[in-house]
Amino acid sequence: MKFSENRIYIDQELCTGCKRCSQVCPVDAIEGKQGEPQSVNTDRCVLCGQCIQICSAYASAFDQDIAPREQKLSERKLLPSVKEPLFAAYNEGKAPEVKAALADKELYKMVQCAPAVRVAIAEEFELPLGSLSPGKLAAALRMLGFNSIYDTNFTADLTIMEEGNELIQRLENNGVLPMFTSCCPAWVKYVEQEYPELIPHLSSCKSPMQMAGAMFKTYGAQVAGIDAEKIYSAAVMPCTCKSFEAARPEMNSSGYRDVDAVITTRELAHLIKDAGINFADLPDESFDAPLGTYSGAGNIFCATGGVTEAALRTAYEVIAKEPIPNVDLEFVRGTDGVRTAVVGAGDIELKIAIVSGLKNAVSVLDSIKAGKTDLHFVEVMTCPGGCINGGGQPKLLLPADRAVASEYRSASTYIHDSSIEYRKSHDNPEIKKLYNNYLGKPLGDKSHHLLHTKYTARR
Amino acid sequence: MNTKLNSFVIANPQECIGCKVCEIACAVAHLDKDAKTAGNFDIPVMPRLYLVKTAEVVMPIQCRHCEDAPCANVCSASAITQIDNKILIDKDKCVGCKTCMITCPFGAIELMPIYKDDKPVMQMVLKAETEEGLVEKQAFTASKCDLCADRTEGPACVQACPQKALELIVPQEKKKQRSIDAANRIAASIKSL
Repeated sequence: MKFSENRIYIDQELCTGCKRCSQVCPVDAIEGKQGEPQSVNTDRCVLCGQCIQICSAYASAFDQDIAPREQKLSERKLLPSVKEPLFAAYNEGKAPEVKAALADKELYKMVQCAPAVRVAIAEEFELPLGSLSPGKLAAALRMLGFNSIYDTNFTADLTIMEEGNELIQRLENNGVLPMFTSCCPAWVKYVEQEYPELIPHLSSCKSPMQMAGAMFKTYGAQVAGIDAEKIYSAAVMPCTCKSFEAARPEMNSSGYRDVDAVITTRELAHLIKDAGINFADLPDESFDAPLGTYSGAGNIFCATGGVTEAALRTAYEVIAKEPIPNVDLEFVRGTDGVRTAVVGAGDIELKIAIVSGLKNAVSVLDSIKAGKTDLHFVEVMTCPGGCINGGGQPKLLLPADRAVASEYRSASTYIHDSSIEYRKSHDNPEIKKLYNNYLGKPLGDKSHHLLHTKYTARR
Repeated sequence: MNTKLNSFVIANPQECIGCKVCEIACAVAHLDKDAKTAGNFDIPVMPRLYLVKTAEVVMPIQCRHCEDAPCANVCSASAITQIDNKILIDKDKCVGCKTCMITCPFGAIELMPIYKDDKPVMQMVLKAETEEGLVEKQAFTASKCDLCADRTEGPACVQACPQKALELIVPQEKKKQRSIDAANRIAASIKSL
């Protein structure tokens, strides 16, 4: 798979030119006249998939003038068993590739799931919007034939260890500030193409998905006692841009391609249905240790403000050298497009901005460019509300249900956080073990090689 | 005597952008289960209003619930009747002759396959002869807007349209309002004479 093959498509046979997608596109990448089929400008597009979520121009089974459904499924690289309606805006799937890998007995299959998947996938099986289902998710992945049921939440904790320490290092050494989060691949691509002069602000940390990819084929191979070459590394993401990220040529620090295939939440539902698994009736099972053990902090990465809250739970304690008075940092949560906060930790007053929805980043970036801010940390999530509303999440059929789903998915995210034994990334026992047994220390040599990355100006 | 005229839904072509949300909302409202996400939609999308999109016009078309409904008049199976000021089709009586479909002056009737619990319903007796021998034949029924008869919130299309381009017309109320508007206009113009 080539870098450039990951893109968002608009089916010219189906698009009616209503242009609702162009209203939600944060980068004006959708081009075309009202009433005519639209096209995607791939240089501008950040693959967030919000167009896919809003598109309602479906392929009618009774329309004799369009290509048959079987052909469209194959063009979109979806499983032939998929029954749901097909809409004009789409991303190419990877489920057939993952299904083939699952059937390959030579491969050792490791899988990771983003936090947003467990608050949404149940919706595809007639369960209420935002149903929390980590246990059924783990059970389904095991039934599908994955050998290790690992979790992006574990490497979200690892991201906090690295990114939190990176922020402290920048604060102590007069580094480039504010530091930008780097877990959203659409945001990273946006900075690379629209604000390349601000690239030094991006945290050098890989996203949790890519950190997991690098760990699977190194530490994970060691734990499993197998050759890294035999590992097939799959990721289930709420995101249509993660395939693009996984295909970035530098994402091979394990010596192999770190993440072999990314499927969306919707595609995992397709695989589960394809295998005849009755998701709603599955018993709760656990993710596997060590790379599937997570804290509540790792879990809230999927909601806007979550990365910031997780980072503060750790950074506060490192800076102030005392336990944080209250782990529930309600003041960084919310739904506004731009939120700011000032947090006192020891002698430092951390100034933070949280951006939900990439359109809202422009004003913040322009003021940073003009040198008009004294911010220390900026979190940006391209999708409004965060990854819970990502382009690869279950697609709401009716516009009115989108806000309802967002609210319930967010609520489930925080309910899950508060029910987990460990609430702070640095308390995760497997994270401690990983540093003791393998990585050494945050920002150390091994971390630098496996968990950090570089960015490319795209103009 | 019931003097109430049948209501109907009509789209404003000035507002319609052709997004088909009305068709999706209609199909969802007529499923026999509660489907919120696309992944729960296991059968073809079968709306009862149809987006018309030509070089000149874009708007959905649906049943006008005619007072002397031509579809009912031509139905040989007596499957089309007026109930509670709505023209409704009884799918169990419909034989799929398609006379209503070609008679309707609005093209608002379609023949649609029947599903129950996400499974196709087959004809009771009739089979289709094919190269593989006799095979079961899916049951079809004439299908059209029923004004979401079972839906307390009213027609799903009207509620879902992001452009608010659809309106449930209650004819006598609409007519009364038009008269009042006209009276106001006339009164204003006379004042300025």
